[in-house]
Amino acid sequence: MEYGLLVMGAPYTSAAPHSALRFAKAVISRGHQVAGVFFYQEGIHNASSLMTPPQDELNMRDAWIALHHGHGVTLDVCIAAALRRGVMSEAEAKRHGQAHFNLDAPFELTGLGQLLTLQQRCDRLITFA
Amino acid sequence: MLHVLNKPPHSEAAAQMLSTVAEGDGILLIEDAVQALLHADWQGWDAAADVSVCVLKEDAASRGLSGAALNSQAILVDMEGFVELTEQHTKILSWY
Amino acid sequence: MSHEHERLVIIRHAPYSSNALREGLDVALVAAAFGQTVSLLFLGQGVLALLKEQAAGAPGQKATLPTIDMLEMYDIDQLLVPQSALDALNLQAAQLVDGATVVADDTLPELVQRHSYVMNF
Repeated sequence: MEYGLLVMGAPYTSAAPHSALRFAKAVISRGHQVAGVFFYQEGIHNASSLMTPPQDELNMRDAWIALHHGHGVTLDVCIAAALRRGVMSEAEAKRHGQAHFNLDAPFELTGLGQLLTLQQRCDRLITFA
Repeated sequence: MLHVLNKPPHSEAAAQMLSTVAEGDGILLIEDAVQALLHADWQGWDAAADVSVCVLKEDAASRGLSGAALNSQAILVDMEGFVELTEQHTKILSWY
Repeated sequence: MSHEHERLVIIRHAPYSSNALREGLDVALVAAAFGQTVSLLFLGQGVLALLKEQAAGAPGQKATLPTIDMLEMYDIDQLLVPQSALDALNLQAAQLVDGATVVADDTLPELVQRHSYVMNF
């Protein structure tokens, strides 16, 4: 089966990203696919390339990237939710006259429609918030 | 439908979940919801007919509730068991 | 009446306390714009989003009521409120916007079951 995950909690603020990541790994180890993760609300902070946790804590962004590289999981971030919270790609930073950016591949900024597409494409959608 | 609760058993989220549980649904308690193990009289243990209540074992263990889990009526599942529940239920609704 | 492929969005947060309400309504609006049939269920604090006397433009924060008023244009005409949610806030149905419908609490399990997509915000 194909699974989609909706993550709405921020790392180091909420347990949601940790639960989502552990769930994704278990989905894969049971022989299913995780088609994609959609980050919304406070979940958009998972994509920040500036997160710098202490060495004895998991770097959540790196963990998502490993999931992407290992299993082809797409990492989509709601553009409206991200921009208003100050998380953006180089292209968006330029467009909005910002001097810095903190989101890059494999995370992709996308619209909410992508969440609905993910839900329709997948056999299961599960929210972690 | 599988209801996934991650807030304590007497939270508003838990009450809202219980108001929508139907016969044959499943309930899975994760994160802070595993505190329900400390409340044998929690309404959720008998939410509706034919509803099984599962607890994510590792979240109970990390919170010091393994002993309470053994003495409860909960069905303990690991992360793969969580996935198995989502295989059985086509719809999953998270309460947070 | 079949509710296959219909979406239920559950709103549980009050205006202004967080962005959860706004961003939940955004999902409903986008789904409706995609041609899906969308119903909204307001639980707990979410009911406060439907108070018709809400003033526009609370200082520095975008008002909610214009979004609620916009729902009808997107054919989202099911704004459901369980009686117990009103009672818990000492509210009367007459205090809610015109489109709101009060439903009996014992209809909630069936309501949630019959929609193919259900999301909590």
